[in-house]
Amino acid sequence: MSIYDKIFPPKKYTLDNGKAVEQKRSRAPIYVIFVLLMSYISVKVTGFDPATLAKRGNQFFVILSRMFPPEYGYFNNIVNPILDTVKMSLLGSALGSVLCLPFAMLASTNICKNRFVVAVMRLIFSIIRTLPTLVSALIATFIFGLGTIAGTTAIAVFSFSYIGKIMYEEIETVDMGAFEAMEAMGFNRTEAFIHAIVPQVMPAFLSNSLYNFEGNVRYAAVLGYVGAGGIGLILNEQLGWREYPNVGMILLVLFVTVFIIESVSRYARKKLV
Amino acid sequence: MIKFEDVGKRYPNGYEGLKHINLEIEQGEFVAIIGLSGAGKSTLIRTINRMHDVTSGKLTVDGTDVMTLSGKSLRRFRRKIGMIFQSFNLITRTTVINNVLTAFVPDMPWYRSVFGIYNQDEKMKALEALDKVGILDKAFVRADQLSGGQQQRVALARTLAQNPEIILADEPVAALDPVTAKQVMNDFTRINKEMNISILINIHHVDLALKYCSRVIGINAGEIVYDGPASEVNKEVLNEIYKRGREENE
Amino acid sequence: MDERIVKAYESRPKDWIWQLAIAVIVIGLLIWSLGAMETSGASANGGKMAINILNGIVHPDQELLFNLTKEGVPYLLVETICIAFMGTVVGAIFSVPLAFLSASNLTPKPVAFIGRILIMIIRTVPAFVYGLMFIRVTGPGPFAGLMTMSVTSIGMVSKMYIEAIEDLDTKILESLDAMGCSTWQKILYGILPQLMPNFASTAIYRFDINLRDATVLGLVGAGGIGAPLIFAMNAYRWNEAGSILIGLVVLVLIVEWISTKIRVKLTRG
Repeated sequence: MSIYDKIFPPKKYTLDNGKAVEQKRSRAPIYVIFVLLMSYISVKVTGFDPATLAKRGNQFFVILSRMFPPEYGYFNNIVNPILDTVKMSLLGSALGSVLCLPFAMLASTNICKNRFVVAVMRLIFSIIRTLPTLVSALIATFIFGLGTIAGTTAIAVFSFSYIGKIMYEEIETVDMGAFEAMEAMGFNRTEAFIHAIVPQVMPAFLSNSLYNFEGNVRYAAVLGYVGAGGIGLILNEQLGWREYPNVGMILLVLFVTVFIIESVSRYARKKLV
Repeated sequence: MIKFEDVGKRYPNGYEGLKHINLEIEQGEFVAIIGLSGAGKSTLIRTINRMHDVTSGKLTVDGTDVMTLSGKSLRRFRRKIGMIFQSFNLITRTTVINNVLTAFVPDMPWYRSVFGIYNQDEKMKALEALDKVGILDKAFVRADQLSGGQQQRVALARTLAQNPEIILADEPVAALDPVTAKQVMNDFTRINKEMNISILINIHHVDLALKYCSRVIGINAGEIVYDGPASEVNKEVLNEIYKRGREENE
Repeated sequence: MDERIVKAYESRPKDWIWQLAIAVIVIGLLIWSLGAMETSGASANGGKMAINILNGIVHPDQELLFNLTKEGVPYLLVETICIAFMGTVVGAIFSVPLAFLSASNLTPKPVAFIGRILIMIIRTVPAFVYGLMFIRVTGPGPFAGLMTMSVTSIGMVSKMYIEAIEDLDTKILESLDAMGCSTWQKILYGILPQLMPNFASTAIYRFDINLRDATVLGLVGAGGIGAPLIFAMNAYRWNEAGSILIGLVVLVLIVEWISTKIRVKLTRG
């Protein structure tokens, strides 16, 4: 009997023949109250005011309209930065994905029998995952200076923790039969891992790595904002100068690039299954 | 030669999986181990290649005390012992020949083993092993596309490629139909006679055990209750082996 | 016997060519990417910077950490939570009609297609662009941040809602029909119970993500804990930065733990 049931006792239904059954009171009221309370607090704290939206909302669309038609001539300034963005996310995603594998192996309870090591590895993954990519990009610019290396590092760090978590969850549910056979044949644990486990988790690894790469391309576009390379820098610049037709062009090129990459990636992922 | 001298295995919670095991198995014998589920058959077999530890007594294989091995020496020791499992334990996503080739990995340098680069000599040996069990034609097929009996033979080929002196088989035919089971037992017999490899086989099917093996060991509640020729196994002996609740009667 | 084996060996499939080709392409792409790597100075100090940052994290600015006024870390964290919360709520509300319009089992193909393209466009525009646009509407501060969060949420949330709608089990509608229910009742008792847990779970998942992204908004002046973090780092005040980072990480971990529990309850019932 949980606390809730003690305060609000379950409803009792008694049939004519004497049999009785209990129905626990729905927890829904608590959730509703919680949501309403949070909403009230949030509105107060953030100053959410629908009236403002109604009055000034059209400003949003004014800016939007100024972006079209886009300035097609601006394309030449965009080519290199956008390619930089793609390269950053490609390299960063690849590095992060590959590097996380040995750590994921150590974070799996069925491979690594040392409880302490497993716990530490998982904690590392969790902490790195909570770090927003932009923040780690910022930190990276301090360590590596402005430019694409910082951005690539930030993406690599994020990919490391994202793929790492997925992989150790995957490794834990794998069939250990072949692993046992390899150990009986005289393999050490790492060899057995490479030959028995890796082939089993490979499809999940590749599929998720591709999906991760897709998402990172969009992220990489933002990183330029903190000076970590890519198209974010130009985008921010043009926005600041209110050169909206140029901004429109940048967004258009970005959209087309992301669309192509996502389509290719979706196709490749289907083939993997 | 495998020698058990008053070997026992006690688990941390006090349960005794093996008690007072005394056994000598010469090179080239084909021995069947029978008994109830949970009697200790698997445990007994797995102590030989130290997949399980023994907690008392001495277990030697060709003079080497199994409990003195660890790390590299243990791995080298295991190279000489092959193991066959009930669920085959193959790498299902890859080809039959790749499965057999894994037998060579522990002896390969790391740069070849990580990327799975095998030389011609190893590939030929693998193909020979497949031929010995009669599935040469399936060499390049994906392992999960084979039937149960064929998969077990791949496992057997993998073990043969190791060039072992001893083969431990844990319920190798339990998942197979009677006809395929007989084929696999025939394979075991052939290997035993032609290559003089000691074979210890855990088996539920008493009839198969009696038909193929010259020596039978019966285990009940962790102790050996029968150790002798298959020809002398009669109904009384079987009752003794498969008797439940022996503990309470003592 | 040997001859057969030799023949089998010769006839082995030569798929190493295919694998080599893929390997060459992938490595080629990676090397091509490497070419874009460049950095402008400050790499000599890099090591020192890293140590300073670590130092700041290990010795956080205790005052700032426990300062309960509007400038302190706790208040800013609360503000960040509120931005993320309302942003998720508003975003989820907008996503519902958008998702229904783009579900292929509810609307004709062309309409659904346009809907999906629209969602994709919305998703591709980087968050800070929306941030700057909304600042023009609402002025700088958390309100702009909230609006930005809602628009950025639409991308992922609509996509997941569409999946939920397309996975709908329509067989229950058949039985409700046979019992004589009106369309409204069919929606209420047949469709909504299937969608509600899924919608709620998605919203909570997005809330997690928004919480992390909300710090970004501080960069553009849209409120939250991002701005103080940037200022502290730009001024090399590592202890302050450290305390903010710790507060942020702890917050996200706690919220993630709670939300995972709730989501498990939603799916298991």
